[in-house]
Amino acid sequence: MKGLSSLERIVLECLGKNTLTYEEIQGQSGLHENVCFNILQALIIRSILTTDGVRYRMSENLSPLMLEEINGMDAKIAESLEMIEAVVENKGQRVFRFQKIAMDTRDEKIFLAMLSNLESFLIDAHKKAQSSVPLKERKVVFWGVGEVQSLMNQIVMGN
Amino acid sequence: MNLQKKTITRYRQFFPGETLRETSSRTGIQITRIFRLFGGKTMKVTEMEAFEKVVSDRIAESPNFSRLNEVLEEASALLTNEELGNLTAYVKRKLVAKSYSRMYIRQTFNDAIIA
Repeated sequence: MKGLSSLERIVLECLGKNTLTYEEIQGQSGLHENVCFNILQALIIRSILTTDGVRYRMSENLSPLMLEEINGMDAKIAESLEMIEAVVENKGQRVFRFQKIAMDTRDEKIFLAMLSNLESFLIDAHKKAQSSVPLKERKVVFWGVGEVQSLMNQIVMGN
Repeated sequence: MNLQKKTITRYRQFFPGETLRETSSRTGIQITRIFRLFGGKTMKVTEMEAFEKVVSDRIAESPNFSRLNEVLEEASALLTNEELGNLTAYVKRKLVAKSYSRMYIRQTFNDAIIA
């Protein structure tokens, strides 16, 4: 598979530039033991991770091709869709709204300004809490807006 | 991969981690014969049919599978190469996620004996 699945990405995000044990990775990611172990093995096989048998770390010599595969636009789009799908299908405490809203130009400007404020708030909140909140407890937040006509055309054209 | 190997691999995808005894009772083939087949002994047509039947019976339990096949055939005729690529990537991601949560599928003869 090209790119990374969101499960694989979580493991890599846990590691970052650190060297962690399996227990630490599993604790931070919140992944089930078996799943976590299988992902680690898969990433080692793909040479994305290295291990001394106890601790795991990101490979330092990832080729530009591999980096593009991991961080390229296609990989990011696929991962975003995977996470969004999981939120939409979440049967627990789901917060998800999807509506077609009539907005005049003035309200659209106000809305975009509010989104900008929201983004600033989220960036600040993340900075404040990133050292204390483990990855598994972080929230997935997404938003987007598009015009119905252009979206419909896009769907018809298949792009 | 030859047809026999493909058949066994496919069977093991549907029934991962199964013991020789379980495979024997499911296919109706003697356990010692299963032992030999997994070791690479050439299959008879009837034995291959027995494996195929078990797999197709399992597939029949999920009616959406035949729908998926129909849709894929239509998709291969109508969708662009790029759209097919996106679909493939989507399905592949589902499979990768699933494979992480499944037990390791034992492929080799020795592992099957241990099971």
